[in-house]
Amino acid sequence: MMRAREAVYIGLFDSLPLLRDPMLLILLSLIAFLPVLFIFAFGVGGGALLASVVGAIVLSLAFAGIGSAQSVYFNKHWFRFQDIFVASRVSPISYALGLSVSTLLVSLPALVIAFAVLMLDTPMGVLGLLALLAVAGLTWMAMLLMGFALGASTKNTRRANSLPQLLGLLLGFLPPVYYPLSQLPPALQPLALALPTTNAAQLAKYYAGLIPLTPLEFWFGWAYLVGFVAAMVVIASRMAHWMDP
Amino acid sequence: MAVIEVDGLGKTYPGGTKALHDVSFQVPKGEVFCLLGRNGAGKTTLLRILATQLRPTTGRAVVLGHDVVHEAKLVREKISVVPQEARPQMMLSGYDHIYLMSLIRGMPRPEARKRTRAIMEEFDLWEHKDKLTADLSGGLRQRVMIAIALTMDPELIFLDEPTIGLDPLGRRQVWSMVRRLAKQGVTVLLTTHYMDEAEKLAGRLAIVDRGQMVFLGSVEAAKARAAHGMQVVVEPMNGNGGEPEVLSPTSDTEILAIVQRGIQEGRRVTFKPPTLEDAFIAMVGGGIDDEGA
Repeated sequence: MMRAREAVYIGLFDSLPLLRDPMLLILLSLIAFLPVLFIFAFGVGGGALLASVVGAIVLSLAFAGIGSAQSVYFNKHWFRFQDIFVASRVSPISYALGLSVSTLLVSLPALVIAFAVLMLDTPMGVLGLLALLAVAGLTWMAMLLMGFALGASTKNTRRANSLPQLLGLLLGFLPPVYYPLSQLPPALQPLALALPTTNAAQLAKYYAGLIPLTPLEFWFGWAYLVGFVAAMVVIASRMAHWMDP
Repeated sequence: MAVIEVDGLGKTYPGGTKALHDVSFQVPKGEVFCLLGRNGAGKTTLLRILATQLRPTTGRAVVLGHDVVHEAKLVREKISVVPQEARPQMMLSGYDHIYLMSLIRGMPRPEARKRTRAIMEEFDLWEHKDKLTADLSGGLRQRVMIAIALTMDPELIFLDEPTIGLDPLGRRQVWSMVRRLAKQGVTVLLTTHYMDEAEKLAGRLAIVDRGQMVFLGSVEAAKARAAHGMQVVVEPMNGNGGEPEVLSPTSDTEILAIVQRGIQEGRRVTFKPPTLEDAFIAMVGGGIDDEGA
């Protein structure tokens, strides 16, 4: 209980500057919705519009998760709050959870809107919603852990800002997250499926009833996401130190 | 009982850099202990080991009765640290920082509010409570950082170069905070490369150079090490008759000769006792400002 409390307040401490600036929060949320707005404006079919809402969820989670790299880096090397927490009663688990909660708080407005639109416009049942939430959770964790590994290994303040943004863009915008996988040339499709965001988008679109998946595609997607998260747990725990070696 | 006991402590970083070698000393309760040395001398490495942030490679350090490696958790219950160049979140106020840190450290909300107000009033921060730290002066920001460290009544506080980059007024504000802490019985370990700071604050000091401790003792004892760092100024009595001569005698015989010459020539002879800076230069073999020049 005490650790959970620590984590919540650390999360609040990390995200408060952004939460106190609603305009910036709305702007950040809008980035994920820009493709949705374009698809709506150019009148592409309803299926494409909903698929792009799924894309907005995946992109929001990708940016939120990988954004942890900035929190990890700046709290360690810029503000030096990590050193303050290390030399205190705060546990490393609370600290990591706190920074993770912080990324979710910031992406919450976009996620709530996107989930609400999907719930209203698709025939998704409770089980479908739970499965979709599980996919979203795994996507967030995969990107979050990637962010922790990246933030812990970054040594340059300039890169600490640009690398996570670049990775978020490469993993969130370029792969078939907003658009169907079938739109890619067949030779590029396996490459796209080597990315966690493509698999997350495929599963999410499937649960929203927007695309069919073969059993092989279905199980591959889940296995890939779970395996990716497990690999990232190992990498992040090796790179991020509490007491420096 | 000593609050800090360091015995043969050494640190070699994973890349092979030797930052600390065979350092030993003790700090009693309530002392302001200064680690003095130029940049890269090993002060921060030593402080970070004692504050349980960094693992030593050799030797042992015991803080408040607990080993810093094997009983780090117990040490962390009783210490606080203000890391070098730590800075507050610009978009939060000083109040936000101190209040949230109190909550993170487990205080119930009403107590955290009371504690925040008490600390801010004690350190003259209350009138700035709603200002974003971006709008505070460097001295006030540093006071906020030190106030954060005091949210949990530490028995020992580590301050790593707390006045770096501050103007003279800001430095004095931090000094007065350090003195106030010492009066309350808090042990302070402070690193600095400012001689005047060490001279004004330190009960005792250790001079660290290239990872080794080259001096341990009081400020006066350090100055005594540079006894012949004394300067003698010989100048005309009435402001005419040429430029003043600044001499650095290296023996008692030379001092006597200068005095006799001054009397014979009717000139004023002024003695300038060695400063801590003279002692420091004598011990580390070069001025702080020379580094990297």
